[in-house]
Amino acid sequence: MHMHLHSFIIHYARFIGSTRFLGTLLLLLVYSLFQLVAAKPASAMLTARANHDHITIDFFYHGSSVSVRGEADPNVDLVIKITSPEGHQVLKQKGKVGGMLWMNVGQLKFENTPNFYEVFSTKKIDDILSRDEMEKYTIGYTALQKHVEVSPVANEEEKAKWFSEFVRFKEDSKVYATSFGKIETTMTKDGRQDYYILTDWPYQAQPGDYLVSVYAVKSGKVVEQAEAKVNVEQVGMVKALATMAKNNAAFYGFLSIGVALGAGFGVSLVFRKGGGAH
Amino acid sequence: MYLYLPVALTSINILVPVGLGLAVGLLSGLFGVGGGFLMTPLLIMFGIPSTVAAATDSNQIVAASTSGTYAHWKVGNVDFKMGLYLLVGGSLGGVVGVQGIKLLRAMGNADFVIKMTYVLMLGIVGVYMFVESLQSMKKNKNAVVEEAKTEKESAMGRFLKSLPLQTRFEKSGITHSVFVPIVLGAFVGILAAIMGVGGGFLMVPIMVYMLRMPMHVVVGTSLFQILFTCIEVTFLQAYTNHSVDFILAVLLLLGSTVGAQVGAVFGRKLKAEQLKILLAGIVLAVTVKIIFELTLTPSLLLSQAGGH
Repeated sequence: MHMHLHSFIIHYARFIGSTRFLGTLLLLLVYSLFQLVAAKPASAMLTARANHDHITIDFFYHGSSVSVRGEADPNVDLVIKITSPEGHQVLKQKGKVGGMLWMNVGQLKFENTPNFYEVFSTKKIDDILSRDEMEKYTIGYTALQKHVEVSPVANEEEKAKWFSEFVRFKEDSKVYATSFGKIETTMTKDGRQDYYILTDWPYQAQPGDYLVSVYAVKSGKVVEQAEAKVNVEQVGMVKALATMAKNNAAFYGFLSIGVALGAGFGVSLVFRKGGGAH
Repeated sequence: MYLYLPVALTSINILVPVGLGLAVGLLSGLFGVGGGFLMTPLLIMFGIPSTVAAATDSNQIVAASTSGTYAHWKVGNVDFKMGLYLLVGGSLGGVVGVQGIKLLRAMGNADFVIKMTYVLMLGIVGVYMFVESLQSMKKNKNAVVEEAKTEKESAMGRFLKSLPLQTRFEKSGITHSVFVPIVLGAFVGILAAIMGVGGGFLMVPIMVYMLRMPMHVVVGTSLFQILFTCIEVTFLQAYTNHSVDFILAVLLLLGSTVGAQVGAVFGRKLKAEQLKILLAGIVLAVTVKIIFELTLTPSLLLSQAGGH
């Protein structure tokens, strides 16, 4: 269509034979095209920024806090999801043996599972997002259950049972959580919406990269998405020891034994006076 | 105050491991057990992954048993010769036990067999020691001559004396064939490997009732033997599983080395029967705790498996 308009203008310019007229027309055309492009989608960029996005673990680390803030359209709900990369996890499974004794009866493998999964939303997720959208973006435990593969399980019912046990296990170690109403929102002067959440970062969350995904939600659908990152890293002696335990295992073993022997003898010598002879 | 543990990947209040170390070290110095059957489940309860808990505990026991052995050696209560024979048997038994575990796993239902063996062993040892020490306490009071027992002993003694390579264990004041401690050590080694524990609670009664060693020498010799077993286990765990947490071990041993010394001093003030009945009580308490665990519905049906 633009091509047609373009050739029409050129023809018309030739017809008129005035270069000044042509220049003015071209300017008008460029301006109107620019207007067209700029006005296309109604939404105005969702932003997300994680403060304290580099958490360092030293000896005195006992968890931290992470805040996410940004701007969104005024009439949307927000969902914030923090996850670690997906992987597979093997867990021991307890069951009843002989109808009365609880013990480990086997292992369960969970595929496509993040080690860390937290979802916060302005309202209850079920009320603001359709099932399809939740599944598409893996938002909420129901969607995560569909996404995760559990083996060995006989049927969907069994999968559901063990997935809910899995969530309980993860929530118990503080690395899985869902909640709504914790995101604060305020309207800005220019009619936009500022959002902010401050959440505890559990010390149980392992070192690694975490992805913060923010979704703007309207009429049951995700209309916009923004991302930020949080990196958790061991530093100093904590890092040195953890690395040594993995990469220099023999030396680490000798060191541990040496220190234990030294401490045992050291304390003995201190106690020798008070110990008393025969 | 909290400290972060680089291998366990968790943070812990330092009073917890120091306090646990002190308590378990005390028992170690008193009774000559490593205390893994108490320490490992307690560490797991405080959020330490199970593999790290077991491995780090063995590292800590190296320190506690060094401290305890030294304290008992100072007063002449360690039979090094007996300890060495038991060690030889124990390591042979360990090798057999590890193969046994593989066999059990291949057959399936290994956990059931392991758990049942553990409960039965704890239960039998606890009840036997408890009843026996209660009886001997009564007998001592009434000053009854142990005629029946002497007769029984001599029958058993005749058999043991008929074995070749008899040797004298000066410190314990007994004579046995070298095969006796080696075979008994191997028996404990097999069971300990299968149950995944150090086996001190089995070794102590075996030394008391089968080798007929004096209780106070038993405690010192058992600690000496445990020291070497735990050095080996610590190294293997650090080398193959990367599961020893150095910082946690240091916190634990701060308490346990002191506890072991106090236990050794305190133990000298107690009579053999008193020591035995106290140990029996603890073993029985652990048995009851495991029985509860087996029968009550657990709060979580999933738990961390080895690795990650």
